[in-house]
Amino acid sequence: MLAQKIQKFMSLVFTFGLVMLMTQQVSAQAVPKASPTVTPQQGGTLVMVVQPEPPTLASFLSTAAPVGQVATKVYEGLLEYDFKLTPQPGLAKSWKVSPDGKMITFKLQENVTFHDGKPFTSADVKFTVLDVLKKSHPRGMNTFRALEAIDTPDQYTAVFKMSEPAPYMLMALSGYESPMLPKHIFETGDVTKHPNADLPIGTGPFKFVEWQKGQFMRFDKNPSYWKKGRPYLDRIVTRFIADGSTRAAVLETQEAHIAGFNAVLPVDVRRLEKLNHIGMTTSGYEMQSPIVELDFNTRTKPFDDVKVRQAVAYAIDRKFVVDNIWFGFGRPATGPINSNFKANGLYTADVKNYNVTNGIEMANKLLDEAGYKRGAEGVRFEITHDITPYGEEWRRFGEYVAQQLGKIGIKVTLRQEDVPAWLRRVYTNYDYQLTNNWIQTLADPVIGVHRLYHSGSIRQGTVFVNGTRWSTPETDNLMNQAAVETNPKNRAKIYHDLQKRIVDASPIVFVHELEFVTVHNKKVQNFLVSPLGLYSTFDQAWLQK
Amino acid sequence: MVVSRLQYIRRRLLLAVPIIFFIIALNFLLIQIAPGDAADVLAGEAGSATPEYMDQLRRKFGLDQPIYVQLLTYVSNVATFDLGFSFRHNKPVSELILSRLGPTLLLMVPVLLISVSMGILLGAIAARYLNRWQDKTISTVVVLTYATPVFWAGLMLIVLFSVKLGWFPTSGMEKIAAFHTGLARIIDIAHHMVLPVITLTLFYIALYTRLMRASVIEQNTMDYVTTARSKGLGEKRVLWGHILRNACLPVLTMAGIQAGALLGGAVVVETVFSWPGLGLLAYESLFARDLNLLLGIFFISACLVVLVNLAVDLLYASLDPRIELK
Amino acid sequence: MRDIFRRFARNIPAVFGLVILVLVMGAAFFAPTIYPQGPFEMVGRPFLEPLTDYLLGTDQLGRDLGVGLLYGARVTLQIGLISTLIAIFLGLTIGGTAGYFGGWIDTLLMRITEIFQTIPFFLFAILLVAILKPTLGSVIFAIAVVSWPPMARLVRSEFLSIRNREFVQACIVMGMGHWQIIFKHVLPNTLSPIIVTGSLMVATAILIESGLSFLGLTDPNVMSWGFIIGSGRSVLRTAWWVCAMPGIAILLTVMAINLVGEGLNDALNPRLKNI
Repeated sequence: MLAQKIQKFMSLVFTFGLVMLMTQQVSAQAVPKASPTVTPQQGGTLVMVVQPEPPTLASFLSTAAPVGQVATKVYEGLLEYDFKLTPQPGLAKSWKVSPDGKMITFKLQENVTFHDGKPFTSADVKFTVLDVLKKSHPRGMNTFRALEAIDTPDQYTAVFKMSEPAPYMLMALSGYESPMLPKHIFETGDVTKHPNADLPIGTGPFKFVEWQKGQFMRFDKNPSYWKKGRPYLDRIVTRFIADGSTRAAVLETQEAHIAGFNAVLPVDVRRLEKLNHIGMTTSGYEMQSPIVELDFNTRTKPFDDVKVRQAVAYAIDRKFVVDNIWFGFGRPATGPINSNFKANGLYTADVKNYNVTNGIEMANKLLDEAGYKRGAEGVRFEITHDITPYGEEWRRFGEYVAQQLGKIGIKVTLRQEDVPAWLRRVYTNYDYQLTNNWIQTLADPVIGVHRLYHSGSIRQGTVFVNGTRWSTPETDNLMNQAAVETNPKNRAKIYHDLQKRIVDASPIVFVHELEFVTVHNKKVQNFLVSPLGLYSTFDQAWLQK
Repeated sequence: MVVSRLQYIRRRLLLAVPIIFFIIALNFLLIQIAPGDAADVLAGEAGSATPEYMDQLRRKFGLDQPIYVQLLTYVSNVATFDLGFSFRHNKPVSELILSRLGPTLLLMVPVLLISVSMGILLGAIAARYLNRWQDKTISTVVVLTYATPVFWAGLMLIVLFSVKLGWFPTSGMEKIAAFHTGLARIIDIAHHMVLPVITLTLFYIALYTRLMRASVIEQNTMDYVTTARSKGLGEKRVLWGHILRNACLPVLTMAGIQAGALLGGAVVVETVFSWPGLGLLAYESLFARDLNLLLGIFFISACLVVLVNLAVDLLYASLDPRIELK
Repeated sequence: MRDIFRRFARNIPAVFGLVILVLVMGAAFFAPTIYPQGPFEMVGRPFLEPLTDYLLGTDQLGRDLGVGLLYGARVTLQIGLISTLIAIFLGLTIGGTAGYFGGWIDTLLMRITEIFQTIPFFLFAILLVAILKPTLGSVIFAIAVVSWPPMARLVRSEFLSIRNREFVQACIVMGMGHWQIIFKHVLPNTLSPIIVTGSLMVATAILIESGLSFLGLTDPNVMSWGFIIGSGRSVLRTAWWVCAMPGIAILLTVMAINLVGEGLNDALNPRLKNI
């Protein structure tokens, strides 16, 4: 009873918050809606540009954005979500949470078949969650940690039994986060090197047809899809194009219809949005909430000194970075939690503000206080600044930081390596001083934020966790409390305290909240039906002829 | 000791074996210097991975073995024409290479043929009309095209002919969503080939024209030419009948060398036009630390070069009887 | 000697090329004196068009493109010249020795050359730079390593050809020492294609560097023309001048090098001019 009330309350808060959020978003279009009088047209091939090419179609093993964009057309999840972040029926047509919050009973849709004709039943749910996701999914191990067993009293009922309430788990059952796999295919063999990893068989509106490496993937309409009358599209083709300008060009010439996750570079988006046939939206990424940051190595000089870290935080003009390096797509960040969470109250802007007009002055003062006086040629000390190898904008960002730090007497040498070398250096060898980086803070701080600041997340060899190796007992405590706190007001208070402390200690400079852009041909309708954006199944999408 | 052609060929092929082994070993060892391996890449892409999972991956890829064991395993496999498995793409390396070899050849063979023939022609004309307007025009244009960075030429061609004029597609090898077959497919691919072929050809024509021109000029000073002229042979006869044969040699040598670089040389064009060739595949495999694939591409390329060099040397010897096959 | 200069001076395109080269080298030399703050300084609003506040406009971070070009001349020339010199030296030594002496020396040296030639050169350059991490030194090294084999083969085929000529045979019969033959007779006759190829190689080196930069493999601390093109690549359609200007600079420099090279060729071999 209580749990249901909390759920309802939270949905209300979400609704209110999201409505506020969406009217505030600056350069985003209104969510494209088909006008009620227009009926979807059948047919057509949707061409989507995905960058980079996904390494695999096994979304149960990889949460990379390219994988998410393609695998979600084939696999589905128990739940879907609307823009109020309220769970909606997916493969589960209804669900009931027990009063103590430790049991969820899912009733599954009936007469759903996989692409090979075999039926989808509760046995598949049990196998997928317990044998695959909980064991091998990068986030599944965390998401389902409280899950102990799944009962399957009949083929359309799955009962999740938990050791403690886990309110965040219901937010993680989309087709992207927890795809439902066919037990009869994956139970034989090792799921981590299964031949069907790249020959996916799911329940989704599109069937996998072929994958020409370096070129495209093709998905054809599933004629026996369980939602009658859908999908509207005949076919989806995802295209892989290495060069950024070329990606913009194919949208211009209408050879491709849609590209998201900044596949079209921001600078080109600004150019393309002036064309009549092109639309653009920054909506559909609410469950990612990425933040651009500067990571310090807090265990070695000079960044083991909090004053030095704060000085760097002051020296960055965040607006300049957003306007000139990301072409206006982004909002200056204030702390470890994205302002998207203003909606549910977890976010606060009441933290130490480094984004001031006299930043350089403040920085110089701090460095003097820290004992690093200026020497020959005005240089206090030298550092090497690593650049994250994910694209051109990071190089520009690195060059900018180098110049700014030069102004406060820090001589910067830039270093650029490729992905494996950089990952090794930062997350295994800890052989760096300063690096730029970006991290998705995801749908709940427990999933996305804790991994960066908790002492338990200092795991050598694991990527995208606490690589700065900063932690304090107080902040660890706060995070532990927040993970099990079910009262939203208390939870917000805990997180506010956490944000204040982290921002003060500045183990990371929070630069800006990254905004992803989806560029699309205006002919494409109904592709944006949930905050999952391009991670949704596209069963409602249609092409205007 | 002069040997017969067959013996020469056999000898060259035998000698090629240690060369190819050396190349593989060299590249293998070079890659070992690079920090990070395939497991790191996959972990980075997955967004997260536990150290246990990564150890699992490394065992699967055979990366936990000592280096010399890995090298020996690889070499012995290659000797039986087993190029290994690409763990990143989940396919045998040979299959991957074969699938991308076609597009690469589709690009490079026309480029080679057009640029060599045009180069010889233009170079001969330029030399024939030395310092006159034909020469000056050709030489100027050629220098300009040579000096233009290939990727910039490619991007400019796309902007002009694809985006502004709409005559040609912007990228790719064929129209993806159309799934043509048969003649329609051939025409579609040919249509897509035009811009990338032009981009590359511009560069190579310049190369061969200049070389041919210099070569013809040099041949002109040779005694046999003076002899031919003093015999009263017409200029045309002198040029085409005598000079050409000899002047071609440096051009063919260079062309042979370029043919060897066929496979990797088009990385930039393949990037700009998203042409699914081996150059791009090799580039990606380097950054994915996909050892088997990268080594496999280098191996195939090495074999190709050996064969082409052999062919060029044989051709050379047949054109210039004074050269002996040793 | 005097004659050579005079012949060169009469060759207008060559003089034109020389003038350009002198300007480029002057830019390289004087850049730090005129603009001591360096090319990375963010001086103005980003994406200012040329001929507004700054002669050649500004780039994405508001850096003066003109200053970038001047400093770029330094680095680009450095890369081009040093790598080519290394490559020519290697090529001459290896190819010449092989072509002249023949026999097992030829075989051995050619096997070595073949090894390096058998590897696709641009891929190998990428491999080397990526492995050694993109720095000025690694780029120069990589370009030199992939450039020498063609020179070696060319030199060898030339030496091979000339060695079999009657006059060389005559020298041998006369008892002339090898080094004398090489330096007095063989080398001068191969100078023409070597000069042409060598000048093309500097140009090629500059072009390889721009290609590597395009793919992102440059030293991030050093501004070469290729670096500027690389940085302007994503904004090509909006701020065309960021790519165009250094592209033109490369074009002019490469052209100038070629013209000078050919001028030298014609000046050294006057008989060839008067056909």
